[in-house]
Amino acid sequence: MSEIDPTYDLMDELSVLDPGTARLWVDGYDELWLQIGEAEARGPLGVQRAFPLTMADEFVSLKDGDGDEIAVIRRLGELDPDSRAAVESHLSWSYFASTIVSVYSIEVQYHIPHWDVETDRGRRVFELLSSRRDVRALPGGGALIRDADGNLYEIPNVSRLDAASRAIVEDYV
Amino acid sequence: MPSDIDPDSDLLQDLPTAIEQRLADLLTACESIELSMASDIRADGRYGDTWLVATDRRLLSLDPTDLSAPPRQLELTDVLAIELRDFQAIGALHVRTADGGLTLVRFTRSLMRKFNRVPKRLEDLVRRAQPGRDTGERIASGGADIGGSARRRCDRCGRAIPRRFGVCPACLETRRLLIRLLSYAKPYWGLGVLSLSLMVLATGIGLTPTLLMGSLLDDVLAPTSEGTALRPLLADAATHSRLLILVFALLLIHVSSNLLGAIRRYVMAWLGQHVTLDLRNEVYRHLNTLSLSFYNDRETGRVMSSITQDVGRLQDFISDGLQEIIRDVLTIIIICTILFAMDASLAGLVLLPVPLLVFTTLRFGGKLHFTYRALWRRWASISALLADTIPGVRVVKAFSQESREVGKFEQRSGHLLDGELRAARLQSLFSPIMAFVTRIGTLVIWLVGGTRVLDGDLTLGSFVVFTGFMWQFYGPVESLCRLNHRFQRAGTSAERVFETLDSQPDVRDVPDASIMPRVVGRVEFGDVTFSYDDTKPVLKHIDLVVEPGEMIGLAGHSGAGKSTLINLICRFYDVSNGSIRIDGHDIRDVELKSLRDQIGVVLQDPFLFNGTVGDNIAYGKPEANLDEIVAAARAAHAHDFLMNLPHGYDTIVGERGTRLSGGERQRVSIARAILRDPRILILDEATSSVDTETEVKIQEALERLIRGRTTFAIAHRLSTLRHANRLLILDKGEIAEIGTHDELIEADGVYARLVRMQSELTRRKIW
Repeated sequence: MSEIDPTYDLMDELSVLDPGTARLWVDGYDELWLQIGEAEARGPLGVQRAFPLTMADEFVSLKDGDGDEIAVIRRLGELDPDSRAAVESHLSWSYFASTIVSVYSIEVQYHIPHWDVETDRGRRVFELLSSRRDVRALPGGGALIRDADGNLYEIPNVSRLDAASRAIVEDYV
Repeated sequence: MPSDIDPDSDLLQDLPTAIEQRLADLLTACESIELSMASDIRADGRYGDTWLVATDRRLLSLDPTDLSAPPRQLELTDVLAIELRDFQAIGALHVRTADGGLTLVRFTRSLMRKFNRVPKRLEDLVRRAQPGRDTGERIASGGADIGGSARRRCDRCGRAIPRRFGVCPACLETRRLLIRLLSYAKPYWGLGVLSLSLMVLATGIGLTPTLLMGSLLDDVLAPTSEGTALRPLLADAATHSRLLILVFALLLIHVSSNLLGAIRRYVMAWLGQHVTLDLRNEVYRHLNTLSLSFYNDRETGRVMSSITQDVGRLQDFISDGLQEIIRDVLTIIIICTILFAMDASLAGLVLLPVPLLVFTTLRFGGKLHFTYRALWRRWASISALLADTIPGVRVVKAFSQESREVGKFEQRSGHLLDGELRAARLQSLFSPIMAFVTRIGTLVIWLVGGTRVLDGDLTLGSFVVFTGFMWQFYGPVESLCRLNHRFQRAGTSAERVFETLDSQPDVRDVPDASIMPRVVGRVEFGDVTFSYDDTKPVLKHIDLVVEPGEMIGLAGHSGAGKSTLINLICRFYDVSNGSIRIDGHDIRDVELKSLRDQIGVVLQDPFLFNGTVGDNIAYGKPEANLDEIVAAARAAHAHDFLMNLPHGYDTIVGERGTRLSGGERQRVSIARAILRDPRILILDEATSSVDTETEVKIQEALERLIRGRTTFAIAHRLSTLRHANRLLILDKGEIAEIGTHDELIEADGVYARLVRMQSELTRRKIW
């Protein structure tokens, strides 16, 4: 009978980027590049979060033009500040969600809820296809809302909204 | 290009005056504006317009809130490439030049469709500005003119269409739904009138016992009574006979009102059942005409409940609800009339608690409604949990997570208890309060009416009639207060039913569709582009001609568009752009049935219906005789194992054919396809789920089936495609390679790599 290979460690499968030697930057074409040590720079890269809703800053995947993963950043905070800023600027466009700070009204017309909200990016009016399927509860009392066109809006914590907004939203989230 | 919208109108939007003025400063006199579009995200990431303007010389992006700043612009002659980038949440238009790049505009998903057309348009402009540029070189990337109209928005009013709807509810005209519902009762209007008149009669009769009671007191008992002591009344024979008449009248009333009630109930049930029969059948008939996209958007349970529950609820409304409303209104009118005729001032007192009654009912009604809705959601969450864990019981046990699952259930169960208790609290409060409110009326009548009887103003009989009618009066008032909910419930159900009925199949025959003649088998794809969601194209610019009798093997990574291509041939969906022609006929111009009748499909997981094996083989050709069925089974190499089943061809396959193994089901489905004698054959992963030995058998069966028919076969195991005349390798929705096995190996591209990888895998499996 064979033994389990004692040298096998599940954690070896992780293979994350060494934050000490990796450098990331955005070039003049507005594109993201990666260089590890003295190796050849790779890019342009795409970025993708593994846990976009629960752990946005951990396990950020870097992808090449074909969509294949070339590296994983374990924690954004471990990168040097310039690299981190470069990744974050790309992430903020890739995960363009706005944060709802207050809710003016939700009017349901013909089963379509129309949300009129103030976000950190300015006022926005949008429609939902279904109150049930397009509003997703987030851990910690938040909610993620997807509108009819697929745009995303986040309420980090429903109970921290002002009383008027909360009263409007409570029926839906 | 067949498109009913003017393709340029969206790309040339009217500019705001401020922008126009600024452009007047920026542009030279002879420059013409070729494209102007507003995006909805500004450079700083806030929501707001940014205008993308393209002239015949340059590209600009202008922020209307900051027009004094120098605009971001570049000359068309500097443009190397234009790229529409699709980040998951937003899109961006990126332009590359020799010495850098520039993101001109960013936009939310709401504008994705519109901006999808921009790269192509800009490419045209760049080509005009750079005449020397190689025409084969690609300038624009990303985006595609998908054409057609957005599926999730109403064509008529542009409103978003709710996820569970197939049609815009605003255009469904909700208010007229109930009227429309009544139109289904129209063929039976005679019965409706009959039942209504029976009801009016019964209601009238139902009120008479109270009147008789009055008469009993005033005309029979009172004149002969003196004082209150118990002793025989001094009654003459006439009074006795009057009593008998009254008793007899009461008997007659009870008999007739019950008889009328029974007749009416049956008549109404008959009417209600017939209306629902018509409706139910119509809904199911219509469901069968709807396209696949209708079913993709919906849960099976919901579609089923529109036939079972919603139609049933409508029956309740037609046969009971509506008539009860009429009866209640009638009762109130009659009682009011009688009371006011008897004694107007006392009648006014009866009406006293009515406002209070209405208020309480409405108030509680609203609360109860919300409580029950919440309760319903909690029930649904329990059902969802069960639907999840019971079919997954093997996994739960294998990972020994029973206690966690029980914990989850108990938590939801507890939630349900809280909800139920809340509802119970409201309910138990509701009845006593209602009872009390109505008792207030009694108190007043007793006090005032009693005093007047003592004063000799009012006869005892009238007093009893008053109190009697009062009780009969409050009931209908209360039930009318709940009318709103009743209408709402019926309205919701009616809406769901008509929503289904009004959903139009995406794929349907054109008015003058011709019959597809017997197919020879030449299939042409002309610049076919297709997208399921109107934003992301799954197939792009497919050009291909397949000769009659040719077998095309389709390969490529998962998600490359293989199954989509096949869906288009079957016309489960219509192409977004371009055309598919069979023997020169555009498949959109021929009758669906005549097209699909000549296409045979063998799927990866063949669906068999619960019935005998023989029935399943004959599914596509119910008139097939036994010889044909057995011959088809033989050709499909199914005969031998079918004979060994306990009842041979008469064996029941079970729901979804689960009593047969995967390979057996597959061969039955091949027999089903063979029997249909299709001219075009589609094999979608027909041998992927079976063991090697079975695969060999199925392959043999397929070889007979394929002969002489135009065949499209998808396979991951490339060895199964060895008979293909040509292989079509799809990559990200485009044709990456096409040619025979040898040619593609020679070319050493995607296919050669796939083959190498698979033989590598096989070697590893063997050793």
